[in-house]
Amino acid sequence: MTAVPTLLAIILASFFLMRLAPGGPFDGERPLPPETQAALQTAYGLDKPLWEQAWIYVSRLVQGDFGPSLVYRDFTVSELVAQGLPISLTLGGLAIILALLIGISAGLFAAVRAGKAADKTIMMIATVATALPTFVTGPALALFFGLWLDLLPVSGTGEGWSWLIMPVIALALPVSGAIAKLTRAGLATVLKQDHIRTARARGLPETKILFKHGLRPALVPVASYLGPAAAGLLTGAVVVETVFGLPGLGRYFVQGALNRDYPLVLGVVTLYAALIILFNLFADLIYGWLDPRMREG
Amino acid sequence: MSIYEIRDMAIEIDGKRLVEGVNITVEAGKCTAIIGTSGSGKSLSCLTPFGLTSGVAQGSITLDGIDLIRADAHQMQEARSRLTGFVFQQPLTALTPHLTIGAQLQEAAAQAGSSRLSRHELAQRLDRVGLSRADERLDQFPHRLSGGERQRVMIAAAIAHEPKLLIADEPTSALDASLRGEIMALLDELRLERGLAMLLVSHDLASVEGHADHLIVMDQGRVVESGPTASLITNPQEEYTKRLIAATARLDEPAPQLQAVGDILLETEAVTVTFPRPGWRRGKIKAVTDTSLHVREGEALAIVGGSGSGKSTLGKAIAGIGPLTSGTISWQGQPLPKRRARTVAMRALIQPVFQDPVASLDPQWKVRDIVAEPVKNLQPEILRKDRDAIVLKALEDVELGEEYLDRMPTSLSGGQAQRVAIARAIIASPQLLVLDEATSALDPLVGSSILQLLRKLQQANNLSIIFITHDIASARRLCHRIAVLDEGVVVEMGDMDSVISNPTAVTTQKLIAAS
Amino acid sequence: MKALLKRDHWPLWVVLSVMALALILPAILPWTYDQIDWDAVRAPAFSGSHIFGTDEIGRDRLARLAAGTQVTLMVAIAAALVSLVVGIAWGATAGWVGGKVDEAMMRFVDALYALPFMFIVILLMVIFGRSILLVFVGIGLVEWLTMARVVRGQVMALKQRPFILAAEAAGSPPLTIILKHILPNIAGVALAYLMLTVPQVVMVESFLSFLGLGVQEPLTSLGILVKEGADDMDMTPLGLLLPGGLLVLLLVCLTIEGERLRDTYS
Repeated sequence: MTAVPTLLAIILASFFLMRLAPGGPFDGERPLPPETQAALQTAYGLDKPLWEQAWIYVSRLVQGDFGPSLVYRDFTVSELVAQGLPISLTLGGLAIILALLIGISAGLFAAVRAGKAADKTIMMIATVATALPTFVTGPALALFFGLWLDLLPVSGTGEGWSWLIMPVIALALPVSGAIAKLTRAGLATVLKQDHIRTARARGLPETKILFKHGLRPALVPVASYLGPAAAGLLTGAVVVETVFGLPGLGRYFVQGALNRDYPLVLGVVTLYAALIILFNLFADLIYGWLDPRMREG
Repeated sequence: MSIYEIRDMAIEIDGKRLVEGVNITVEAGKCTAIIGTSGSGKSLSCLTPFGLTSGVAQGSITLDGIDLIRADAHQMQEARSRLTGFVFQQPLTALTPHLTIGAQLQEAAAQAGSSRLSRHELAQRLDRVGLSRADERLDQFPHRLSGGERQRVMIAAAIAHEPKLLIADEPTSALDASLRGEIMALLDELRLERGLAMLLVSHDLASVEGHADHLIVMDQGRVVESGPTASLITNPQEEYTKRLIAATARLDEPAPQLQAVGDILLETEAVTVTFPRPGWRRGKIKAVTDTSLHVREGEALAIVGGSGSGKSTLGKAIAGIGPLTSGTISWQGQPLPKRRARTVAMRALIQPVFQDPVASLDPQWKVRDIVAEPVKNLQPEILRKDRDAIVLKALEDVELGEEYLDRMPTSLSGGQAQRVAIARAIIASPQLLVLDEATSALDPLVGSSILQLLRKLQQANNLSIIFITHDIASARRLCHRIAVLDEGVVVEMGDMDSVISNPTAVTTQKLIAAS
Repeated sequence: MKALLKRDHWPLWVVLSVMALALILPAILPWTYDQIDWDAVRAPAFSGSHIFGTDEIGRDRLARLAAGTQVTLMVAIAAALVSLVVGIAWGATAGWVGGKVDEAMMRFVDALYALPFMFIVILLMVIFGRSILLVFVGIGLVEWLTMARVVRGQVMALKQRPFILAAEAAGSPPLTIILKHILPNIAGVALAYLMLTVPQVVMVESFLSFLGLGVQEPLTSLGILVKEGADDMDMTPLGLLLPGGLLVLLLVCLTIEGERLRDTYS
């Protein structure tokens, strides 16, 4: 399993980048208040040899200690993460569920009517959907439903669940388009295959053939897409949180990047990397269930 | 009593009439076989009446009293589910990959509406078709089984609901040669045991000869000739049928006149080829083990075996385009170095011809450049203008005209492409040709004409040939001697006729039975 | 070439027209993209010489649109080419050499694939500063992964094809085989994926610019224009809809064309 070494590599790379980066807290260019200096000293053991520092960093990381934030002086990175993570996870989770629901249904609907007008229309809509960047749809939705129609809140959370609607839709749109196309292509391919002909030759009704023999292999491309989809959702979440002013991880990340708050940025990157790797493993499991040939190594 | 009767059937796809005037009769307990090349319409004729192709059938088609043309959806479903069973060509893809064998067999058995079978009953059915460890198999997925085993499962599934008609579309073509005899024998057994009416489709006359009562020959969408098998074969009336029968190699035809042979040219001694296992798995795969053989000047040696026997690997090692782990390959006494170390002069001695003609030609190159490639490398002293003349001569030798020079491989038929490949192989005047299943992927008529071409070239240029194949009967038409390979080891070797009349190894016997 | 004139390839023509306009307009418009018209701030469309009006500082919207499109497309094509070169080199080497080298090279690709590369790019930007060169290289380095995988798959498949073995038997040296037999046969697929990479890069670049991390002032890009438009959308929606709409149009056309090419060569 390449997961653990990959994560380790990311963490180490992040650490060394941080140490080498100009304008950081470690080369004395920025004057820091003594408390922060002291906190850094303990956190990173700045007087010890480099590789020992790396070890300290990694061991703290594993325990969930990402170090202090440089910008939000009173908080450690872990505390900021704990605040932002639930929001980002909710956004991302709902978005992927919505994308799967819309995408798979649209794809199935189109595939069963392959070649006809309904199929072509749905696929064209799906293609357009994949080309809609979240930073365009986000503001556009906010403009239309928020400012013009005044139906939904344009920024911030609170007031129940309505704040979720536009961000989730903006996030889910491109992913649902991609899933629709993959589902339709997958099913169209599968329906031409031999084992479908065998099922027809047995006199089985078409719907049964579709769902029992056709669906699982058809969803294989969607399963392989889940990994990259998660990565895409995380990056899209960054935009959506910025546009809609939601205090999720993505927004902290952007603020940290702009303000050169290295511990924060690196903490978020590591966390995201871990999340994606986890999600990839999950996607592999689903893949194995869909196609038994993948189960053995 | 005829179960299935087709009169004057025509089939159209997208308005194009592809099949016309076809009559087929299948009787209970008897087997009718349709023989033809690809594109003859044989598969279309079998599958279209049941709505399994995109074609539309017209004419009179009656199955057990049901008129299939005028059948409504319900009757059609009944015809498929209750009365007919199907066995298709590619066992790997014909079974659903994500359902277990047991689940699929259960579904097949239940298609006629009967109640669920117990696990024991399912295992019994698998056992009946010769599948070992039947109970274990019920929980396995199709990709865990070998090709032959999967086909047995298909057969079990096809008869699970006690149909009256069994349609088998090229049931053995995708299987290893040594298995063909067994599968055909199994089908015969089941047919007689249950009084099944069987409709068989094949492109290979030899494989159905001993099993069909009635033969129908099709070409280009029409029935050329039909009649009881025995009389059709001994006394064909139509020209096409005669050519087809002549093209099909048989073991009992008269021995060919082969030319005299000279001294030993190529010798292999204790040749072994092993491959590391793919992925992270440990251990090696032994493709060829400790093989020793020789080929004389002007001689044709057949290397025969089933798939996985290592014959291709051996051929590639000899031709210097595949790995060689240990042992020596020598030419006229001098050892030949391994693959990448072979010099240009050595390459000129041995040339290969492959099984898939179109895949052996670079799709981006013109015929003229393809055939000229060996000359450019092996005889660089020849100038371009002279080279063209040599290319033309090579094309002439393989009976292709000047108009082929600027054609692209994708525009060539299988036979034409193979001729181009042979032209490329002989253009630099090699002394040994390694033919790796060079006729196996071609239609019988085309294949036999290629074989004739090879004989002509062999005699004209005193060529030595290594003919790798699974088809002993074809090999007999060309080769002096034969070596039989099984799992990488030579199990039998000797003169063609003596090995065929007195086979000692089990593999040889199976391969002979398949012919 | 003739095939490109058919109606089927309308997306390509749309993109080319947009590119042409982006190049020509700055030469004929009376305003440049950073010129401030003190008399016309937030002017609506069709007011005087400003066809699409001006933004909140007084700069001509159309001029800025043209300039932004130029930058966005230039970055996209350059980065896509970088990814093409790196991807082909990596993938062809891995595919041709095979064995342990291939395994090592592809595991590297797999590991990178799993990363939230967007974040790595941002990280690099933050640390090394924001130069346009870094934008090119950074984005290209991120997109080469897919190209590498595709090329490697193609090369591996081709390596086993009999015509490659026949070329070896005919005495062609490995370099000749790679240049004359393998590369021509992967050109089609590589081109198709190149076309698909361009919209990806456009998205990444716009995204970075939107966050303020990409192209720097005084240069502008479609991403920056969208950000400015979004910030100002309650006053002048046109500021968002114009660059946003153009961006979506470009992405859609490039994607359709790229997929068509990919389907032809698969």
